[in-house]
Amino acid sequence: MATATTAASGKGFRAWLNKRLPVDDFIESQLHGYYAPKNFNIWYFFGALALLVFVLQIVTGIFLTMHYKVGEATSFDSVEYIMREVPNGWLLRYLHSTGASFFFLVVYLHMFRALMYGSYRAPRELLWLLGMFLYLAMMAEGFFGYVLPWGNMSFWGAQVIVNLFGTIPVIGPGLVEWIRGDYGIADATLNRFFSLHVVAVPFVLALLILLHLVALRQVGSNNPDGIEIKDNLGKDGKPLDGIPFHPYYTIKDVMGVGVFLALFAVVVFFAPTFGGYFLEGPNFEPANPLSTPEHIAPVWYFTPYYAILRAVPDQAIGALLMALSVAVWLFVPWLDRSPVRSIRYKGWMSRMWLGIFVVSFLVLMVLGLLPAEGLYVILARIFTVLYFAFFILMPFYTRAERSKTPPSRLTMSHALIAAVFVGGLLASGRVSAAEESGPVDICAPGEKPSWKHWAAESETDSLPSLQRGARDFMGYCSGCHSLKYMRYSRLAADLKIPEAQALGLLFPPGADKNAYITTALAAADGESWFGKAPPDLSLIVRAKGADYVYQFLKTFYADEKSAVTGVNNLALPSTAMPHVLGELQGVQTAIFRNCERKDEEGNAITESVFDKFEKGTSGRMSAAGYDGTVHDIVNFLDYVGDPSQNERRDLGVWVVLFLLAFSGIAYFLKQEYWKDVH
Amino acid sequence: MDEAMGADEVDVSRRKFLTGATAATGGVGAVLALVPFVESWSPSERARAAGAPARLDLTKIEPGQMTSVTWRKQQIYVVRRTPEILALLPKHDGKLKDPASADSDQPDYAKNTVRAVRPDILVLIGTCTHLGCLPKQRFTPGQAELGADWPGGFFCPCHGSRFDLAGRVFKGSPASLNLRIPPYSFEGDTLIVGVDPAVGPAAAAAKGAA
Repeated sequence: MATATTAASGKGFRAWLNKRLPVDDFIESQLHGYYAPKNFNIWYFFGALALLVFVLQIVTGIFLTMHYKVGEATSFDSVEYIMREVPNGWLLRYLHSTGASFFFLVVYLHMFRALMYGSYRAPRELLWLLGMFLYLAMMAEGFFGYVLPWGNMSFWGAQVIVNLFGTIPVIGPGLVEWIRGDYGIADATLNRFFSLHVVAVPFVLALLILLHLVALRQVGSNNPDGIEIKDNLGKDGKPLDGIPFHPYYTIKDVMGVGVFLALFAVVVFFAPTFGGYFLEGPNFEPANPLSTPEHIAPVWYFTPYYAILRAVPDQAIGALLMALSVAVWLFVPWLDRSPVRSIRYKGWMSRMWLGIFVVSFLVLMVLGLLPAEGLYVILARIFTVLYFAFFILMPFYTRAERSKTPPSRLTMSHALIAAVFVGGLLASGRVSAAEESGPVDICAPGEKPSWKHWAAESETDSLPSLQRGARDFMGYCSGCHSLKYMRYSRLAADLKIPEAQALGLLFPPGADKNAYITTALAAADGESWFGKAPPDLSLIVRAKGADYVYQFLKTFYADEKSAVTGVNNLALPSTAMPHVLGELQGVQTAIFRNCERKDEEGNAITESVFDKFEKGTSGRMSAAGYDGTVHDIVNFLDYVGDPSQNERRDLGVWVVLFLLAFSGIAYFLKQEYWKDVH
Repeated sequence: MDEAMGADEVDVSRRKFLTGATAATGGVGAVLALVPFVESWSPSERARAAGAPARLDLTKIEPGQMTSVTWRKQQIYVVRRTPEILALLPKHDGKLKDPASADSDQPDYAKNTVRAVRPDILVLIGTCTHLGCLPKQRFTPGQAELGADWPGGFFCPCHGSRFDLAGRVFKGSPASLNLRIPPYSFEGDTLIVGVDPAVGPAAAAAKGAA
């Protein structure tokens, strides 16, 4: 190229460099000289954003690996170490965990764009295939990464996914044992998944991304009209409907990056668990091979396939169908027989089937998160059929329908297409209890008993409440329960209790202020006294939710059937814990009523249903006073579960404001340049 | 389109300004984004807790003997110096590189002729200031391999640096600076490494007790 020769023929460092490395040539051919269609809409941001998230995952991953310690005995603790003791470790971890979900979100939107505008059609079949291989590698990466925190969902997720390979005839059982490297999911499994997650799969991803980009440059971008800009060249040999990638799309992408990062930061700083969808509650309990979580579901980005697996009442066929539901994507370029590429010019059947497919994918996603029972199973079967029908029927409906003739030149569409960021999903997990109106028929099927509506209403920014909670926890709970991830010194500093005062009053005499908060009760003693060692409570609110702990502490009632403690509990029936706060609350009596109900087979049965509490023995506190005490303790435990949360929210405000300001400036820059494009 | 735009329509200064503003804001953001990553390499809360002050009961050290205690991953040498040792100290100033510890690293309260708060108690970081080996005890004066005029002190086995019983380096050693002294204070007869002496009336009281 002319520019390359000039760049390499001059004098100075630039010429010296270009003789040895074609820097200017590369920039010229890939940025200024690369012509892209001028009518890209919002759907064309997601490729660049996927690359951005990939880089973010690599960088945060590198830093997390510096602090993470792989191993059955160390993984879970080291993640809490990162969350609590590494400077800004919580930020690194939340960036990485949120990044994983956003990676899939962005890639799903990117894939939908390709389906809409026929970006997989010749000559872009290989581009599509490379993208699909990327998606498969991402799924492997996501799965391996999910196992690393070694929470209980990590363990059981690994158990379920690895056992899927056991359905392969003949070699299945041996293969499963080989993957695990042990007779169950164990240290060996965790160690190899770590290696795959941080070394092997990232290399594969990087290579595939490179190939995907090279293939894209070779065939050029498709566009919403699905016609080739190379068919209309100007006198200078450049496409008439093309604009140089730089500055037009680089500047546009900078704006897109700003808006995307602002949304991303909102989740990282204000809803990092995303109501249990990005980080699941049971995964804040350490891996336990003896106890499967009550409800086990993969992370949201795998649930469509998981729902398909569960929809089939046969193990081998279910696994096969799930594998096919992923593999079927690969064939799309050859299934589509329409004379046109873009949905804009396809007939009504293509539009309808694409709509059905999107709905099926989303419904299956939701179903995969719900328990597999009753109506849900039937729905999963219906939408599994529709999911496959979209692909299998594609050769027929794309040929049968009448499509419109695409224009010969690009059309500039200024229609606003709403992004699919579903704000309604925003779940802070702090939904206050709905006020009951009128008398409730407690025998009505599906009616939740009143106590299940009680909400903890945490306010971890209320220092007085946290201080009272800390005092009461130390007074009533720490005799049996430890907070093993929390240091005395941090507690005093965060809660603004002077250390001298804390050491004298709050902490046990002789406690080392730098030590973790332990309990005097030996685990073995606890087990022999109560039948079960009292659990560590560092992460109880994260694992079970604040409302659960609140309800637990308020629903103790006298029960003579319980020989050891004399009490029972509605939130955790036959709990081993005595009513420690009984001297404050008193011991209430629970009134149960017999309800006539029908069981699943339609037989009339009598069920004992909780009706209300009645005052039993009196405690030192009024009902309102006791509510306040429980509220403070739960609030304190909420803080202990994620002690950086106040700092996180404070910082988040500034980060989001900064990113919005950046997006604003970038928007004006984009408008200024895009004045040229008509 | 490039061709379609009239050159006169383009407000070049506006473009330059907006490009500059975007680049500057983005640059500031990128630098700020580096901060948490850089900070994550600093000692964690666990490392800080493990680096808490170390305590040592001084009554267990015989006169003329040394013991050591670990503080922040370093060996802290503690020597109970006899009046004889203290008497020898000022006699070899001419052979030292930094006899007044002018260039060396120690708290102000240990920057004196005996390099100590209490003359009888010497507290040193037992890390050679040359390249970080642990100097050995060579307390007996006149040891053959160290010369007849050896007044007693420390000898580093790695590269042969020699220090006296105030941790001051002799001329001819590869090390250039005296052995470093950590912050320390006393609670009665207990040495606390890592805590400076309190200032004000409390300090005076502590001094009285010592």
